[in-house]
Amino acid sequence: MTIKIYSTPTCVYCKMAKEFFKKNNIQYEEYNVAEDEKARAELVEKSHQLGVPVIDVGGKIMVGFNESELKKALGL
Amino acid sequence: MYDLIIIGGGPGGVAAGIYAARKKMKVALIAGDFGGQSLVSADIQNWIGTKSVSGFDFAKMLEGHLRAQEGIEIYQSDMVEKAEKSGNGFKISTKEGKTFETGTILVATGSARKKLNVPGEAKLDGKGVVYCSTCDAPIFKNKITAVIGGGNAGLEAVLDLIPYASKIYLLEYGDQLKGDAVTQEKIKANSKVEIILNAKTSEILGDKFVTGLKYEDRSDSQAKELKLDGVFVEIGSYPNTGFVKDLAKLNDFGEIIVDHKTQQTSQPGIWAAGDASDVLYKQNNISAGDAIKAVLNIADYLNKGGSAGGYTK
Repeated sequence: MTIKIYSTPTCVYCKMAKEFFKKNNIQYEEYNVAEDEKARAELVEKSHQLGVPVIDVGGKIMVGFNESELKKALGL
Repeated sequence: MYDLIIIGGGPGGVAAGIYAARKKMKVALIAGDFGGQSLVSADIQNWIGTKSVSGFDFAKMLEGHLRAQEGIEIYQSDMVEKAEKSGNGFKISTKEGKTFETGTILVATGSARKKLNVPGEAKLDGKGVVYCSTCDAPIFKNKITAVIGGGNAGLEAVLDLIPYASKIYLLEYGDQLKGDAVTQEKIKANSKVEIILNAKTSEILGDKFVTGLKYEDRSDSQAKELKLDGVFVEIGSYPNTGFVKDLAKLNDFGEIIVDHKTQQTSQPGIWAAGDASDVLYKQNNISAGDAIKAVLNIADYLNKGGSAGGYTK
């Protein structure tokens, strides 16, 4: 299962999500939408909105960092 | 049965938790996140003893200090939905379905972001309408944006946008900006920034995403329109006190009225501190100090026999 996070360098909820992944030994790919135009377009296409973080857990799209929702999606 | 339940994980709640644990109270703290509203600050420069710290690191500092205390129970990622009288004390219920029985409560729930309440805002929330400028400013690279609100939060949102946006309108309802003079000078010196005073935002335009904004120029009552891609709403906050409104008296702003000597509310057994209270200045350092004041007063109260949980220190 591929896990992607679309983030900006200044976003605190992105940092919290990444800490959560690290704490739970979960591999993830990170895309900085402030610099990466292609990733920015992907974020809009997947989530139909403009806020970060957007987390893609094997096709399930989540806007924002909600620990209990993320745990459910990851089966933790 | 607890001696004390602290509600909130900002500087007030955490300071109270540390003092209550050191007083060996049977205490639990319930909080969504740590750090309070400062969690999303890019840089805090006035937390005493710390020259500069990001909101994220500030939250970590608070959480780390609290977790180093023995005996305090911490319930994170949860929210209090209801507080009611029960026996000699109170019963608290949370969103995650937990209940707590306690002799005393300290409300340190702070405040939440105020919305404009104009057409288009709810529909376009997250679709160009932004409430966290440090989070989302970088997404608006080379875009036209507006910040609503000329207080400190609004000025800081302009600073967050300057490295990215191509144009930033700053709309203020009054006839002058209200934020700190130092920050005002910084933004006025930037050619991307255009300040519009006497502007009453009336509608946010857009179908799938924000495409514009309508406002009324209060000086001549003319309706005007701006074409833009993002609207950053920074018009202040309202206290998170709804769950306690039937127990303690609130003022017209929804703030819990406290005795400023002790932080006691109108309801015996309930104290409040920080932005949820009617404190005149909403500041991290003041919230921490006032919450400590509350815990010391709660300790006195428990010592005088107010304890339902048998506190005898």
